Amino acid sequence: MAVRSGGFVGKVLRVDLSTGKISTEDTLERYGALLGGAGIGYRVLWDEVPAGTGPFDPANKLIFAAGLLVGTSVPCNGRTTITTIFPTCWPRPLVGSGHMGGHFAAKLKYAGYDALIVEGKADKPVWLMIRDAHVEIRDAGHVWGTGIRRTTLEISQEMGPDCVVAAIGQAGENQAPMGMVVNSVSHSAGGVGGVMGGKNLKAVAVQGSGAVRIAGDMAAWEKLIKFHLSILGGNNQHVVPSFPTPQAEYYNPASRWIGQPGKRWGAAKPPVEITGTLRDPNRIAYRTNSAAYFLGDAAWKYTVRGNGCTACPIRCHTMLKVPSVTTKYGIPDTGQNTCVALMFGRSFFTQLAGQKNSETAIEACMVGMHLADDLGLWSNYGQLQRDLRKLYEGGYLKARLGSKEYASIPWEKYDNADPAFLLDLIPRIANRQGELGEVLSRGTGAIFDHWSIPEAQWAEDHTTTYWKMGHPKHHANEDDGQCGVIINTQYNRDAQCHSHTNFVRNGLPLEVQKKLAAAIWGSPDALDAPGDYTPANVPKARRAKWSLVRKELHDALGVCNWMGPWAASPLQERGYAGDDSLESKFVSLATGQAMDREGLDQAGERIFTLHRALTIRDMGHVDMRAGHDLVPPWVFKDQNGAAPFTKGSIRMDPDDIARAMEYFYEIMGWDKKTGAPGKARYAELGLADVGEALDAAGLTPKAEK
Amino acid sequence: MSEANADDLAQAVLDTVREASAAMRLIAADEILEQLLARGVATQLPTPPEANPCLLLAAILAGLPGIAALNSLSGRPVYHDLALLSRTYARILDRKDATEVLLAEEIRSNSRDYPRPVPVELFEKTPFNLAPETIAAALKTLSCDQEFQDITSLTTAAGAVYLFSTLYLKRGYAVFLAEQEASLAGNP
Ligand code: SF4
Repeated sequence: MAVRSGGFVGKVLRVDLSTGKISTEDTLERYGALLGGAGIGYRVLWDEVPAGTGPFDPANKLIFAAGLLVGTSVPCNGRTTITTIFPTCWPRPLVGSGHMGGHFAAKLKYAGYDALIVEGKADKPVWLMIRDAHVEIRDAGHVWGTGIRRTTLEISQEMGPDCVVAAIGQAGENQAPMGMVVNSVSHSAGGVGGVMGGKNLKAVAVQGSGAVRIAGDMAAWEKLIKFHLSILGGNNQHVVPSFPTPQAEYYNPASRWIGQPGKRWGAAKPPVEITGTLRDPNRIAYRTNSAAYFLGDAAWKYTVRGNGCTACPIRCHTMLKVPSVTTKYGIPDTGQNTCVALMFGRSFFTQLAGQKNSETAIEACMVGMHLADDLGLWSNYGQLQRDLRKLYEGGYLKARLGSKEYASIPWEKYDNADPAFLLDLIPRIANRQGELGEVLSRGTGAIFDHWSIPEAQWAEDHTTTYWKMGHPKHHANEDDGQCGVIINTQYNRDAQCHSHTNFVRNGLPLEVQKKLAAAIWGSPDALDAPGDYTPANVPKARRAKWSLVRKELHDALGVCNWMGPWAASPLQERGYAGDDSLESKFVSLATGQAMDREGLDQAGERIFTLHRALTIRDMGHVDMRAGHDLVPPWVFKDQNGAAPFTKGSIRMDPDDIARAMEYFYEIMGWDKKTGAPGKARYAELGLADVGEALDAAGLTPKAEK
Repeated sequence: MSEANADDLAQAVLDTVREASAAMRLIAADEILEQLLARGVATQLPTPPEANPCLLLAAILAGLPGIAALNSLSGRPVYHDLALLSRTYARILDRKDATEVLLAEEIRSNSRDYPRPVPVELFEKTPFNLAPETIAAALKTLSCDQEFQDITSLTTAAGAVYLFSTLYLKRGYAVFLAEQEASLAGNP
């Protein structure tokens, strides 16, 4: 891509906290082929962070990267990817990334930077001020030890209006692997807070007065934006509403498109009644209410509004006002979040975990959100909560925790599903206090290490949803058979991929989904109905590759993979097709240089393959198939003893999964025996130097030599 | 009738159906005729006993793009504009005064087309807006009716009740799908 390309703003900011040196480098020269997001992050780690570097070593780096489309008017474009040696990856830390929404990424670009590389370690607590070209490392002594809210407020007052603050709380300061960084008090990225703490970096605050240039034709750009809005559904690109409506042929009670005329944001001042037509592009924000979806209709009356990321009309961060929590628990009555973070508190309690329309569950969520987002504690996609439940209910804690500490924990509150229990537990973990707090602050792997609990006790138990390497499944066989399994084998943390699940859960009838599948992946057999799985085949492996590549691509473009790809749409006149080339059309217009779908997908594949290369390099062996791409035993079991491929079972067959992996490796152009790319494959993807280095280290498949 | 008159009439018919659909009403040919006559539009249509004007209107309606006919419960065809009133919604409107049929057919179409069982609460919400007692009574009636023996229910481990049709879903799979659906909010 030429230097005058639009989309990119042109510079990467580098801050060395050890020396105080602040410098910039040209984005396109070094990172152009990797677009942004984790693409930049992986490249920096590959080039500059040697194998064996620990997450808290000053030699580890943190790469905050926006994406090529961030800061434009493309819907859902506000994602920041933070790449580093990921501290909760077990038994050894490997490359990983955390992701946050909000407006941090856009501000970074408006300030003139496509990414920020933080290296070294400050000798005292500092925060980083970025105001366009003015970048300064400032003393953070006055906010060190305070929570994220206070820090955000203090720094905002110092910097003035219109800044975005991404800060860590006590968990990060204490270098808890489970620490997270949070921008704008609720948009969080897990696992990287402790790495910031290890660098004595309390916060990064950004103000930017620039803009992102669109190099292509503006009329075509505007037209494409309008088209994109027309194919949006509700959150997770659920393209049919959850209720029958005159404007839609289909509906799905499980859809996240739950807003409809007659519903109210009851805690708004004054309350807002949803009116008008559902298809109106100016009313898309009414479709999603994460609180009402996850917590039940009772949450409508507590809803203030939807909040969200740059240019996103979905607004999946629901803001709630629940007055009772102030008097009962002494916390603010207003909080906001989405998804797992919204349910942070409720999920600790077995009695409340799946509860809808329960006032106690709603209060637990408010308490959990308040504490987690202030102390900066991550849930590891809900694994923290499942771990606590298994440890307590399985008797592990009683047997292993010292009796004094065990007695100091208010278990009676836990037994009674009293949200006040969280006021004790969450600070314990964030402050790494006592044995329980210390172990849970390090993530699931620490449970195995510290208490000598075999990993198998988690991996064999479906209820833990534990997958591998200290992390849980993220939309696996329960949603998407072999495709979900393949995706979950690939990362060093939970997969965080939604490309596949957004499609299978989109709410369209199976027959329509299969038609769309045939058009995109070459066969209607590229997907099955959930729990009605047929044997592995090449189209499913093709869809798994597409899902992974688009996930990396979305991170690199800075668009939300909780919404994209837009393979389906609510539009009957399009046969419910979305547009599989949408990303490449936007990239072409933004940069001013034509890029087709295949070309852009190849860039996504390049990024994904670089992740593979880093994993191989840092694991020090090439046999990914045996040593990395693992599937937990629970996947091959059925609670009722049903055989694989029984209708109504998600049980997979080991031989079939082995075949699925082979199809996948083949489609990736990787060695089937080891699941590793060869030198030639790296070269084909523009990663010749990477392939050569791995080859020289004996980390490419032998068959090739 | 001249070509121009025929075009005017077709446009008037289209407008009448659209108006009804926008007001969420299904409309039959005789109602269309009545409205046209009241507006002085259909004066050139032949009248009985020479011809049945409703048949003529039906022929016009059949040629109008985007206009669908539904064989209503009353036994006569009713019309709607698909852009304003989907087939699914039209079916629901048509059956709204026949609770048992409404429930049974909605449960069947969900089991057949998606396929999936539906939570019983679906019928408490818009656009059904049925009281729990009404739903319970209707389900009881269905269970006694030979014609609806396929309509049945299941209860998930967490106590949620789902409805499905055994014509299209086997119980084991319906249970799986219901458990799956009930778990989605915990599997984000
Ligand atoms: S869907 Fe939610 S997470 Fe994604 S961009 Fe929109 S507001 Fe942000």
